[in-house]
Amino acid sequence: MTELLVGTKKGLIVLRGGRTGPFEVAARAFPGEVVEFATRDPRSGRYFAGVTHGQFGPHLFYSDNPASGWQQAEGPAFPSSANAAVERIWVVEPGVGDGEVWCGVAPAALFRSGDGGKTWALVQGLWDVPERRQWEPGAGGLCLHSICPWPGNPNRLAIGISSAGVWLTDDAGKSWRRSVVGLVPRYLPEEARKDTHAFCVHNMRRAPRQPSTLYMQFHGGVYRSDNAGETWLDIGTDRGLPSDFGFPLAIDPHDPDRAFVIPLKADADRVTPDGKVRVYETRDRGATWQARDDGLPQSQAYLTVLRQAFCSDGGNPLGLYFGATSGEVFGSADGGRTWSTIASHLPPVASVRCA
Amino acid sequence: MPRVILTGSVQQHAGGLGVVTVDGGTAAEMIRALEVSHPALRGWIVDEQGSLRRHVKLFHGGVAVSLDAPIGPNDELHIVAAISGG
Repeated sequence: MTELLVGTKKGLIVLRGGRTGPFEVAARAFPGEVVEFATRDPRSGRYFAGVTHGQFGPHLFYSDNPASGWQQAEGPAFPSSANAAVERIWVVEPGVGDGEVWCGVAPAALFRSGDGGKTWALVQGLWDVPERRQWEPGAGGLCLHSICPWPGNPNRLAIGISSAGVWLTDDAGKSWRRSVVGLVPRYLPEEARKDTHAFCVHNMRRAPRQPSTLYMQFHGGVYRSDNAGETWLDIGTDRGLPSDFGFPLAIDPHDPDRAFVIPLKADADRVTPDGKVRVYETRDRGATWQARDDGLPQSQAYLTVLRQAFCSDGGNPLGLYFGATSGEVFGSADGGRTWSTIASHLPPVASVRCA
Repeated sequence: MPRVILTGSVQQHAGGLGVVTVDGGTAAEMIRALEVSHPALRGWIVDEQGSLRRHVKLFHGGVAVSLDAPIGPNDELHIVAAISGG
C-alpha cells in the first residue's frame, strides 16, 4: 500500500491506495487549517504536520497515526534572545543521529530535535552568521525550505534558503559557510550580482547513494554540485527543458544520476508552460532532460506546482507523486513513464510526501 | 480572580473550556497564567516573544484593549479570533 501525505490549504489529506492506484482519501486532519508541510520519519514511524492557523499562528504537530492523536510539539520557537517569531514551518527532515530531526522555518532558521521531534531548539550557529542581517526574503518569505543531511555523517548538512543561498556545516551546525559559486542570479542587474546575498534557491536535494551529488532548482536555473555543494554547475540551459524556472525537484535515491523537475513558464508567469503539464527527467546528471507527460494534461492546463509538492517513494520502479494548487494529485508507479490523476477536487496543494 | 473567555477553535487547546479563571492584573499576565495552566495554548494567543497574534483581538468591558490593559479581579477578558480567512 502507498500512503501519501498531502498538505493543503484546508487541512491534511491522507491518500491511500495500491501502488498503481486507485487512491482514496483515507483521513483528513486539521480541517480548515493550512497544512503547509507533512511528512513521516521512516525510522520512528512518526508523522509530522506543520500547520498554520489563520488566527493563531504556525505550530508543529506529531502523531503515530495521521488520522488522530496529533500532539503539539514544544517548538520550534525562537528564544527571547533571538527577538523573532516563527512565521511558517517549511520543512521537517529526518536527521542522521539517533532521534535527530531537523526543521526549517521562516524567518530563515534551522531547528534541531534530539528526541524524535517532540522538543526543538534553535541552531544558534546559523542564526548568528553575520551575513544574516543582509538576507532578504523572496516572494514566499525568507524561508529555509531544503535540508540535506549526509547519510552516515551527522556532522555534515547542507541547507537551502530563499533567498540567501546554500549554507554548509561540517560540525553539526556550530559553524556555517555560504556556498554559491556557480549560481547566477539572473534576476539581478549584472553589475549587482558580484556582492549580492540574494541567491534565491528554490529547492535542493542530495543523492543519498553519492552524497557529494546535490541537485538544485534555482530561481531561473537548474544546477548540480559534484562536490557536496561547494560549487555549482548549470544543467538547465539548452538541455531540453522548456524553462529553467520552477520549484519542485525530486531525485531517485538509488541513482545519483537521476533527477526530476517540473518547469513553470517563468517567474512572472508561474504556470506549466504551453498549457501542458510535464515532468522532466534526467538520467545523465543533467546533461539531457526528457519530458515525461504520458497521462498528464496536455491541453489548456495552466497548473502551479509548489516547492514541497513533489516527491519520490524510493521504490523500484520509482514512484513519483505531485500535487497542484488546482487541487489535483498526479502519480506514476513506473518512474514517470506513465501518469494518472490519483486525486482531484482537493484544496490547493502545498506539499506531497510519501509516508 | 478575573476570567478569560475563549471563543472558537482555540478552546480545544484549553481542554474544551470556554471560561478559565486565572490570576493576573493585566491582559498579558492573564495570558501568561493561562499558558501555565493550559500549556497547549502556548504560542497560540501570543507568539514566543509575547506579541499578540495579528488576527487575535482582546476585549475588556466591550472595548478592544492591548496586552498591557489593566484587568480588575472580577472582570472578564474576551480572547477573540478575527473573522477573516479564505
